[in-house]
Amino acid sequence: MIMKFLEQAPRFLFFTGKGGVGKTSIACASAIRLAEAGKRVLLVSTDPASNVGQVFGISIGNRITAIPAVPRLAALEIDPQAAAQVYRDRIVGPVRGVLPDAVVKGIEEQLSGACTTEIAAFDEFTALLIDSTLTREYEHIIFDTAPTGHTIRLLQLPGAWSGFLEEGKGDASCLGPLAGLEKQREQYKAAVDALADGSRTRLILVARAQQGTLREVARTHEELAAIGLQQQYLVINGVLPKIEAENDPLAAAIHERELAALNAIPDVLKELPLDKVELKPFNLVGLDALHQLLTESAPLALDSADEPLLFDEPHLSDLVDGIAAEGHGLVMLMGKGGVGKTTLAAAIAVELAHRGLPTHLTTSDPAAHLTETLIGSLENLTVSRIDPHEETERYRQHVLESKGAKLDAQGRALLEEDLRSPCTEEIAVFQAFSRIIREAGKKFVVMDTAPTGHTLLLLDATGAYHREVTRQMGDKGMHYTTPMMQLQDSKQTKVLIATLAETTPVLEAANLQADLRRAGIEPWAWIINTSVAAASARSPLLRQRAANELREINAVASQHAQRYAVAPLLRNEPVGVARLLELAAG
Amino acid sequence: MKTLQVFDPALCCSTGVCGTEVDQALVDFSADVDWLKHVGGKIERFNLAQQPMTFAENTVVKAFLERSGAEGLPLVLLDGEIAMAGRYPTRKELARFAGISSEVSETAVPVPETKMGGCGCSDSKCC
Repeated sequence: MIMKFLEQAPRFLFFTGKGGVGKTSIACASAIRLAEAGKRVLLVSTDPASNVGQVFGISIGNRITAIPAVPRLAALEIDPQAAAQVYRDRIVGPVRGVLPDAVVKGIEEQLSGACTTEIAAFDEFTALLIDSTLTREYEHIIFDTAPTGHTIRLLQLPGAWSGFLEEGKGDASCLGPLAGLEKQREQYKAAVDALADGSRTRLILVARAQQGTLREVARTHEELAAIGLQQQYLVINGVLPKIEAENDPLAAAIHERELAALNAIPDVLKELPLDKVELKPFNLVGLDALHQLLTESAPLALDSADEPLLFDEPHLSDLVDGIAAEGHGLVMLMGKGGVGKTTLAAAIAVELAHRGLPTHLTTSDPAAHLTETLIGSLENLTVSRIDPHEETERYRQHVLESKGAKLDAQGRALLEEDLRSPCTEEIAVFQAFSRIIREAGKKFVVMDTAPTGHTLLLLDATGAYHREVTRQMGDKGMHYTTPMMQLQDSKQTKVLIATLAETTPVLEAANLQADLRRAGIEPWAWIINTSVAAASARSPLLRQRAANELREINAVASQHAQRYAVAPLLRNEPVGVARLLELAAG
Repeated sequence: MKTLQVFDPALCCSTGVCGTEVDQALVDFSADVDWLKHVGGKIERFNLAQQPMTFAENTVVKAFLERSGAEGLPLVLLDGEIAMAGRYPTRKELARFAGISSEVSETAVPVPETKMGGCGCSDSKCC
């Protein structure tokens, strides 16, 4: 099968998309294909769940390693977390044991955010993007990730550099972490230039045939196109082959949903060259499997069985039993985009209200259709929604008006970019939600989002969060000691981690949990959403996928979660009270 | 001329956008520091999150951190001695510390960048 994204490929190929869409597998398969076509290829993986070494049966790590099984192919694994740790150690190491422990801990927290990881990873890329003896021999360098628009824009701003890297101090902004990095401005500039040069760089957006991920990919496309990355291709991965739909109602429903999502593909994506990669019945481990990823495979024989592979896993309603026992409290869903947090929050809220418990469901769902169908639908259920973009915009305007007033043009541009960081949105949204949190003293408040541990620690450290909530609650709120303690007390606040039964999403969820634990918050439960193993399927492809899920579900149950529930993949989208109750009941 | 050193708490970004509210004190102080430099005062700022070694190597600052913790910052030193702690000085106070008349307005002719040291190099990286 001819893949458009590999035709006349330039030197640099970047695959981007959210965790779990299959970027690393496609990057591996592409590298093999180009190497077999006679090119000398370097494959760079930053996937924390990197199985590149496992795929090729050798250990790779943070140095360029030739792959014996594939002539002309070499690989390199970059661990962004480890890169960030090296950076932290460089700054903090010399003062450990010299300054008081509490002070050292505070500094480490400042350097533990997503910004630091992102910048540290970009630093590792830099050497590969500029002309160097290290990479000279490779005709193609393939990355299974790409820097975000936010990072690239920051590096492009003159204000970000003036008086900072050159003097080694001064106004830092989100680029702060670069201060401890060794490279020169010229090198970063050369790397950013290479990224924006269409003759050298191609960006491949990887998505699934789902409305949510397509919307997200459209945003990424526009953001990166706006800063000069014009050479973009789209790959829809994991498309269910039509033949699977023939004898299986669940597969038929998924097929319909995927068709609908592809028909409603955002306009900006329609212009891009498009490739579709079918869902495969096998695990993408080993050379043979990767060979077959970009080719069509023959359908498997229909399975005679159709019972779910999982029977007695706990359902969402079992978790609700534990939540309901407290009589009131705050329930926060946490997880990466696209795992179904809003749906799960709605199912929990509907289940609580259905049991006669007053419940307030509040969401940041951009689509809003889910929450709108619930308004006035159930006694005891209040529904509200905040618009993350509106809240973030309001916050940005406020900061620009107060802080920006005295800045020169360069300083203002830098501040505006800082205000586009993911932290800013998180803070703005959480601030909006904190107005509703006080209700949790009397009823249930269910939110489809939660702040990360890093943000909570920073806000707590400055006392800003305490002040904010105190102001919001006035003196008529619930009794509490400090807001942070309220979040740390599982009787008052339950944080539920939502994930999918796939390797990368489980790993990302484990990272979120580690981050919360740093802030003294122990997630109360995990929810594995849209599980095929918990559904009835005859399609051999789906049954294979279900079998693959078992290892991940087992990992969640035995290693990660105190308690957990599995929510099945449903034939119909869980919209409306009846279907949400069905989802909760499993 | 006297030298001022300001030891800031660990700020993730000195623009302060990471707080739930922008700290007006930080905003104002940044402007005042610019002003002081403009009229020829000598002032340096250090961020705990980025230059912790500077904190550790200065015995006065280190002892202060051991006594009061990072919560006691910011700390202002005047020729190496504590001049103020726990808040940022006002423009008037800055001028007094630096021995410059606060009457000097922002429109005053800026003093050319001829900084001390005798070696002719500029700024604090001197010799």
